[in-house]
Amino acid sequence: MNDLVISDAVQQLNRAVGLIVPDVIVLATVCLMFFAAPFLVSERGEAPAGLRHRWGWLSLLSLLVAGYVWWGTSPQPVTTGPFRLDELTWFIRGVSLAFGAVLVLLTWNQADDARSAETQACLLSIIAGVNLVAAANDLVGIFIALELISVPTYLFLLLPRRDAPAQEATMKYFLLSIFSSGMLLFGMSYLYGSVGSTNLEAIYAALTAGRAHPMPILLVVAVMMMVAGLAFRLTAVPFHFYAPDVFQGAPNAAAAMLSFVPKVAGFVALYRVLAVPVEALDHWSLAQFSEPLLWWLAVLSMFVGNLLALLQTDIRRMLAFSSVSHAGYMLVGFVVGTATTGGPTGFEALLFYLVVYGAMTLGAFAVLGVLQRPDRRMESIEDLSGLSRNQPAIALLLTLFLFSLTGLPPTAGFLGKLNLFLAAWGTGSESGHWLAIWLAVNATIGAWYYLRVIGTMYLQPAPMAVTATDSNATPSYLAMGLCAIATLGLFAVPGWLWALIQHV
Amino acid sequence: MSWLNENVLWLIPAAPLLACLWIVVAGQFIRREKAHQPVVLGLIIAWLCALYLLFSVVPSTFEHAGEHAAEAHDDHAADSHAAVGGAVKYFIYDWFHVGDGGVQPTSMSDDLARADAGGISARVELRADAMSALMLVMVTTVSLLVAIFASGYMQGDPGYPRFFGALSLFVFSMCMLVLASNFLLLFVFWEAVGLCSYLLIGFWFHKPSAAAAAKKAFVVNRIGDFGLILGIFLLWTTFGTLEFDRILADPSLIRQVVLTQPEIFTTICLLLFIGAVGKSAQFPLHVWLPDAMEGPTPVSALIHAATMVTAGVYLVARCAPLFMHSPFALQIVAGVGAATALIAAITALTQNDLKRVLAYSTVSQLGYMFMSLGAAGADPEHLMQPAVTYAMFHMFTHAFFKAVLFLSAGSVMHAMGDVIDMRRFSGLRTALPITWITFLAGALALAGVPLLSGFWSKDEILAVLHMAAQSETHGTYYTVILCIALLTALMTAFYTFRAYFLTFHGPEVFPPEAGHHPHDAPPAMAIPLYILGAAALLIGLATGPTHLYGHYLHHTPNMPAAPAHGPDWLMMMMSTILALGGIAGAYLVYGSHRGAAGVKDNASPLVKFSLNGLYLDELYLALVVKPLRSLAEVSEIFDRMIIDKIVDGVALIPGVVGSILRPIQNGLVQHYAFVMLLGLAAGMVWMLQSLTGSN
Repeated sequence: MNDLVISDAVQQLNRAVGLIVPDVIVLATVCLMFFAAPFLVSERGEAPAGLRHRWGWLSLLSLLVAGYVWWGTSPQPVTTGPFRLDELTWFIRGVSLAFGAVLVLLTWNQADDARSAETQACLLSIIAGVNLVAAANDLVGIFIALELISVPTYLFLLLPRRDAPAQEATMKYFLLSIFSSGMLLFGMSYLYGSVGSTNLEAIYAALTAGRAHPMPILLVVAVMMMVAGLAFRLTAVPFHFYAPDVFQGAPNAAAAMLSFVPKVAGFVALYRVLAVPVEALDHWSLAQFSEPLLWWLAVLSMFVGNLLALLQTDIRRMLAFSSVSHAGYMLVGFVVGTATTGGPTGFEALLFYLVVYGAMTLGAFAVLGVLQRPDRRMESIEDLSGLSRNQPAIALLLTLFLFSLTGLPPTAGFLGKLNLFLAAWGTGSESGHWLAIWLAVNATIGAWYYLRVIGTMYLQPAPMAVTATDSNATPSYLAMGLCAIATLGLFAVPGWLWALIQHV
Repeated sequence: MSWLNENVLWLIPAAPLLACLWIVVAGQFIRREKAHQPVVLGLIIAWLCALYLLFSVVPSTFEHAGEHAAEAHDDHAADSHAAVGGAVKYFIYDWFHVGDGGVQPTSMSDDLARADAGGISARVELRADAMSALMLVMVTTVSLLVAIFASGYMQGDPGYPRFFGALSLFVFSMCMLVLASNFLLLFVFWEAVGLCSYLLIGFWFHKPSAAAAAKKAFVVNRIGDFGLILGIFLLWTTFGTLEFDRILADPSLIRQVVLTQPEIFTTICLLLFIGAVGKSAQFPLHVWLPDAMEGPTPVSALIHAATMVTAGVYLVARCAPLFMHSPFALQIVAGVGAATALIAAITALTQNDLKRVLAYSTVSQLGYMFMSLGAAGADPEHLMQPAVTYAMFHMFTHAFFKAVLFLSAGSVMHAMGDVIDMRRFSGLRTALPITWITFLAGALALAGVPLLSGFWSKDEILAVLHMAAQSETHGTYYTVILCIALLTALMTAFYTFRAYFLTFHGPEVFPPEAGHHPHDAPPAMAIPLYILGAAALLIGLATGPTHLYGHYLHHTPNMPAAPAHGPDWLMMMMSTILALGGIAGAYLVYGSHRGAAGVKDNASPLVKFSLNGLYLDELYLALVVKPLRSLAEVSEIFDRMIIDKIVDGVALIPGVVGSILRPIQNGLVQHYAFVMLLGLAAGMVWMLQSLTGSN
């Protein structure tokens, strides 16, 4: 009798772990790296030269193995277990593993040999965290997975470069992140209070059955707090303040990571808790509450992000505000959701844009990572003057990424914005049309500052030679090349990604 | 073989594309003087594939599509009724499709479903039917011969690899244009051939006249392309799809549109025709083609005589199922064609530049083709098929004899040290025997001497115009057009032989640039000349009276059926008389001229009128360019004074907004947290309020 219970429990555990094998592989690598790294570094913090390459290769290998396992998995029917492996999980896992590899390449030479193990391990656990956010089938699971992203991020921000700006950036991110996590948890507790379960399937069932019907205020508080907590991850206005300061002060790879990875996790978590796929026209679904709120968040993020980006002189700050505005664009897709007739649905457009955005923003950061001035780090937009003459190939690549961020053909950014626009316009409702219009207006404002950078590179004289870092930039070049291929390739052959997205 | 059957379609454009990529990647650095080799190889592959497509793949669709064709095979009259054929397709990929709920783009009905659902799709798909196969064979044959010719002609040019790169890119684009399965793809490659044309006209871009000519061609073509893209937009909004097989294959759909929105339908046809007018250099947009002769002569032969400029004719022929429902549009087509043929022929009478004579002749012959297409306007039901057939047939024969004429002219240039002014050389018959004989072959064919290529095709165009002239409703209109066509035929024979006699007869005169002993074409140039010359003489005889071409073309799906017609002896006789009369006239005036001095600088106003192309360039300058320029000046003032001020005002907005928002972004983490809290509180209040408000 007792044996039967135990074997039953083991079976359940097996089944649950079976749904997250790729993440287990990545996390196992993280453990190995944290464990082994101290033995390879001397007491005075000296490491054999070139150690970071080994850690880099190990990280890539781990992602490769996880990717191989991921490719072999297929979506399973959702149960009430702790994890789920539906189409969205599968898709997000693929995205995060692929872009994780690009981030590993960007991080490759960011930290010195002695600290590269911890840096790469933090990155890997962030990637595993994103996967687990998508795989979690429980509010608690989502929260813990989000913390699995946040906590290593604090280290990741500081480890590679421990100077004053990096410390300040880390501190700001740390405090505000904790603040937002608190809000999220508060919101989740209210949701738990009103429906009586933390399991997502149970929550959906309770909401569909209208069990939260008598307590709308509880739900409002829950939605508001959770949106506020997650909007921090998305860098949506007014929860975006950390972004410019942190992007500016943090190491390049960390800024690149922050511009993309938390957005993926944030949107997935938002989808899991808010976009309750209730088939019945239930008045009390959470999407009902959140839609007008998110509408305002989308419009505010687009406008504030773009208008403030216009004023920036530091290129990373500019990209931070651009990241805020792109969060707004993607929120447009989220708000539209499935309320579209004809064209692409909002979620499809959002997922497509997420991938495209990853390629173009990581590509832009990869370019910034390899550039340096003789005297100091490359910082302001002015520093890029005349880059087209000093580094024509790199200038061309940056132009490509900026074109894509602007949304001009022949880059994937064009199709991404077009999809979002079609989705918003396809709703046929007045609010949807306004979203589409504000999207178009903001795309125009955005063109202003992106094209200004291109103008600086091509039209301004070159007063000081900005050079590519001479040593060991190969991984960054590789990352740049991958992003460029993705940016162009998703314009030329978007069909395969679109087919994948349509299965979600 | 089955592999080839399935893949021959993409091989045709892929081979020249690969050659082009090779030159871009490597050919411009290594083996520069051998850059023609990959291109010729690629073109041979494309040519063989096109032949295979013509003789094996496309005919395989005929049998199963037309069972009832077999019983009527012997009956000549019923043949064209029964001829049915299908199309071969090769799906490459879906560039873009959204909003179909996961329907895989495999069949037509899905496409229809997607269109009905408001989805958007842009398929990259190759499609070949009888018409495309014939076009492809023509394009690849002429391209191959021109490329071989150019390997001799362009020898020693510093831009040798660049020339061949652009040439193979052009062949790729042209093949894709012909193989396009929808209007969107067609437009993309319509622009691509325009780009190649621009690159090749301006090949010697350091020459200001070449740069200006390239620019002119580009700008004038934009006007036509603007019409075409508007037409495509209108097609999209009207039909909800851009696939040929959806729009052209569904007579009931077309009829429905014709009945409900007749004016929209006619507008579509006219807009598509504007595109054709630009690309095929028809009046009033023909002014770019003579200037395009600034490009290397092989380019003039290939792009500006044989292939690209016929894309407009192809477009109208392809859209015949649309045009046949709009007699008005067809009448416009015929009128524009007639005006072009006449104006260009008049201009060609007095040109002194050998290549310009040929250029105006090309414009004139293209006008002929449009006249033929437009002839259907008198009675679309019965005349559409012969009209399309003869236009396409004339395009086919014209490609060969005009190519040989241009290449011979190129050979003359080659020998004369790039002098092409006919007043400066004469009597080249003995010095350049190869060039002489091939030019003569081309000239005889162009003039329409009986039994040669031009005779058969031109004669059939006259025949179909004659039929149109007998129509009750529009007989007078088409009678006028028939008279213009006959007059043009006479002038064609005259100016062609004027050029011939001036160049090859009379006393031997060489310009100083030629040196003492001008060399005739080397083998690389001579062999294509011979082949094309033979084709100019014989290809019409082989495919005209035997109806090989026509019968093959009738297998094009969606082509309106019509009873076949016997030869029109009256027109045949008249065209023979006119051709011989024109040649005799030229002989009388120029046949015995005394060398370069024999051409008088005749300053009579009529001659000047003709020499300057009816002053159309000047007219456009006065009527279009100058007013536009003044308008531009006014606009500039308006722009400076008003628009700029508004823009400056708008530009202040972000600064103002930023200055409001910037103080919050002050770097103090407690402020950030406070604002986040404020945002949270504001959102909470707003949501609770809306909740109580709604209750």
